[in-house]
Amino acid sequence: MTERMKRLAFYALVAATAAYCLGPFLWQVITSVKPSAELTSLPPLLPSEPTLSHYTTVFTQYPFLRIIANSFLVASSTTVISLAIGSLAAFALAKLGLSKKGLILALILSASMFPPIATVSPLYVIIRTLGLRDTLAALIMTYATFTLPLTIWVLTNFFRNIPDELYLASAVDGCTPFQSFYRIMLPLAAPGIFATSILVFIFSWNEFLFALTFTSTVASRTIPVAIALFPGVHEVPWGEMAAASVVVTVPLIALVFVFQRRIIEGLTAGAVRG
Amino acid sequence: MNLTALRNFKFLIPALAALSLVTVYPIVYVLWLSLHRKLLIFDISKLVWLENYRFLLVDTRYWNALKNTAYFTGVSVILELLLGLGIAVLLNRVFAGKGVVRSLVLVPWAIPTVVSAKMWEWLYNPDFGFLNYLLGTSINWLGSPFWALNAAIFMDVWKTTPFVVILLTAGLQTIPKELYEAARVDAASAWQIFRRITLPLLKPTILVVLIFRTLDAFRVFDSIYVLTGGGPANTTETLSIYAYKVLFQTLQFGYGSAIALTVFLLVGMITVFYVRLLRGGIEKAACP
Amino acid sequence: MAQANPLAARSPVRTLLTRLAPTLAFCLLVLLPGCQGHDGPRQGQVTVVFKHGKIAGDPESFARLIARFEDLNPDIRVKDEPLPATTDEQHQFYAINMEGESSDFDVLSMDVVWVPEFARAGWLRNLSDVLPPARRDSFFSAPMTAVTYGGNVYAIPWYIDAGVLYYRKDLLEKYGFAPPTTWLKLVRAASHIAKMEPDMYGFVWQGKQYEGLVCNVLEYMWGNGGDVIQAGDVVIDSPQNREALDFMKDLIFRYEVSPALVTTSIEETTRHIFGNGRAVFMRNWPYAWTIFERPGSPVRGKVGVAMLPRFPGHETASTLGGWQLGVNAYSEHPKEAERLIEFLTSYESQKTLALTVGYKPTLKSLYADPELRGAQPFMAGLYEIMEHARPRPVTPYYMMISQVMQPEFSAALAGVKDTEEALASARRQIQFILRTED
Repeated sequence: MTERMKRLAFYALVAATAAYCLGPFLWQVITSVKPSAELTSLPPLLPSEPTLSHYTTVFTQYPFLRIIANSFLVASSTTVISLAIGSLAAFALAKLGLSKKGLILALILSASMFPPIATVSPLYVIIRTLGLRDTLAALIMTYATFTLPLTIWVLTNFFRNIPDELYLASAVDGCTPFQSFYRIMLPLAAPGIFATSILVFIFSWNEFLFALTFTSTVASRTIPVAIALFPGVHEVPWGEMAAASVVVTVPLIALVFVFQRRIIEGLTAGAVRG
Repeated sequence: MNLTALRNFKFLIPALAALSLVTVYPIVYVLWLSLHRKLLIFDISKLVWLENYRFLLVDTRYWNALKNTAYFTGVSVILELLLGLGIAVLLNRVFAGKGVVRSLVLVPWAIPTVVSAKMWEWLYNPDFGFLNYLLGTSINWLGSPFWALNAAIFMDVWKTTPFVVILLTAGLQTIPKELYEAARVDAASAWQIFRRITLPLLKPTILVVLIFRTLDAFRVFDSIYVLTGGGPANTTETLSIYAYKVLFQTLQFGYGSAIALTVFLLVGMITVFYVRLLRGGIEKAACP
Repeated sequence: MAQANPLAARSPVRTLLTRLAPTLAFCLLVLLPGCQGHDGPRQGQVTVVFKHGKIAGDPESFARLIARFEDLNPDIRVKDEPLPATTDEQHQFYAINMEGESSDFDVLSMDVVWVPEFARAGWLRNLSDVLPPARRDSFFSAPMTAVTYGGNVYAIPWYIDAGVLYYRKDLLEKYGFAPPTTWLKLVRAASHIAKMEPDMYGFVWQGKQYEGLVCNVLEYMWGNGGDVIQAGDVVIDSPQNREALDFMKDLIFRYEVSPALVTTSIEETTRHIFGNGRAVFMRNWPYAWTIFERPGSPVRGKVGVAMLPRFPGHETASTLGGWQLGVNAYSEHPKEAERLIEFLTSYESQKTLALTVGYKPTLKSLYADPELRGAQPFMAGLYEIMEHARPRPVTPYYMMISQVMQPEFSAALAGVKDTEEALASARRQIQFILRTED
């Protein structure tokens, strides 16, 4: 009896946790299919007749496709660059003979403590001088660097877990360090690379402060800025905003469901193994 | 050996170059900017040394922002830790559908901060928001000076608890099962097990969680900027938001940089404090 | 065998192209905005790009006005491009582009508070010759002050706005009150009527932390003989200003004629409340009038407009709003841009815009125009209000000063800070901003 009660209580708590985590997003989904007239009345909770009109508005009346394309371009380029530069460094730190490895790693990590607000004004001046204002390149450059500490840290841990013998064997076979890096180590670290890629991608997809500062037109606007500055002439168009948020969030939620294990691996590798 | 080390060092060059260009150089530059009266658009740039910092001392808006930031950081980190600990312990059991629930818990973490702020703004809407409907209240959550900062904290707790859960779950899994079994043989209560085994062995992980969350919370910008913009009456204005407004809404690069630099220094101090604590913690955990 | 047949090889490429065509077309459409609509410039023609905010009512009539200009000036084509939605974004758009010395647009429409800043930054062409001193008197004096910087004119007032008091004619009559001329009279009427009528607020205004709050507060300060800057001194914490701000707070907490929701209200919030017949008085801009008089409006025919009340012994004052036209200093066609501005600010154009989209003219003589008065009877009353309009502090540093005033005023009204403390803090910050230049 008490055992059953305990089980019941346990599942009730699990259900409450799930509802708490998913609830706000579900409300956004419901809002996005409510006809405009029903947005300003509560109850009813559910729309009398679900509509997709907010979704069509988002895609026909705003340059939303362009903005999604911008975000995608920025996030994927950032991921490639950050992983390319970061994996090289991580390989060296994990497998090659170097002095003061610990110090170098600590220095790299300390860069991730830098508050973005403290670097945004000088970066703005630099980007302005380079003529890169309002370009995607400015964002890619910034994101790729700001994600480096995370990339290097996580990947160093992954490379360390690959047995030294494999690397040494390739060296005996006459590979240069670079050859053994991309022929042997990279394929072996693929799961780690993948986990890191997801983290870097999500970071770039979601970043707001730099995007808000460096971009000014739709040419380089990314999703977070577009959502934050969602235009409303008189009042906030809640239905359209909800539709837009659902559109940009669903891919991320899909990522989470498909790669849950990898993401958790990446996050824990980034934090705990210190 | 030295030659090899030098040869190997080239693998680090791209990373170090990028980091020094985009993070280290700007920090040095921001220090230089903060010693100036600099108005970008009027081409005014004058070295005034410590004038900006002198004004910082008497700028009540700055101290108000510091107070808000400290309150936000303290309350949200504590709540996140408690809630995260609860959920992590809950989900550490073996049960059907665990994978799905773990994915669900990750959802708030994956949602862009800006989107989650807009989502909560709608939930908090005084007239048509779900929260007032649920509670049967008619509170103007974001418009009242009393509620606004707490509402922002609540949103942040929702958004970042998943991160805490993930780290703590990883920590929980490193605790040897035998310890729990032995405790059960001794007929220890659930609370005793938690107090005597889980908590002490989780301590290093908790400290790591605290470092990450404190630093993030202290730098908070996106969520509050979108949720309230710092209002009402600046009761939700944090240091990052104040610095941003001075920098990019009024384009005073000198004073704005001074504010931003203090954020950097405070973050540094918090880091040093925690790293000391962590070292002590590990030593104690190693020799109980 | 291995040699690919060139003809066979073409087909996948062609298939690919056919498949990509919609995407390419889409990209072109996105990359080349504004190509539709107007004809491209012919030989010897010059294209002038005109940036302006969304035209409120009927965009068609505005397009016709532009077409008329093109007929009169066959050598000029006009391309009008919309600005972002909010004024903050518009300001940021100009600041970022002109700081980059962009010549992408020639004519800019500007909020009244931006002109000195843009002029000081060197972004605006000096238009003193376009509007010689003799002709400046035909405009209202407040907007002329706002567009003059260092003795030169940098923009020409296009349309004007000023804070006005809306009141319920029917209710005032019913309870025997005249439109109030002082704030205390307003309090008396508002509290009496709000008590008698069910579900009725006394007086609504804009108290959210934003530029509109500054406009509201300044009207009370000016109406009590106060100011922000006087002869170069920051006097924002004067006793008159403290009294004015305290009075606004009293409207909510002591007299209880304004609901607490005014501290989070903007123009549209209050317009909805008043427009649904749920307030006796409202402070707002003239735009709301036409909306109230539309068929189906619950308050149609019941609304009166008056000058804002004042404190005893002082003059009434309304905050000046409205938009001005200027020429980008980096424009490649400044002369043509000037001609467009002259045309748009002329008597005829202003009259057309007043009749079609309800923009209030900046030329004083239009308020006596029989046709305009016939169509919009309340124009006559607006003349005096516009005469009493006052510009917010005319300084290149206005945007910074406003960023200081907004939170401090908001803090005082919300009761987070003592009025005296808020104003003293505002003074210190403004003084810091205005530290001696160079």
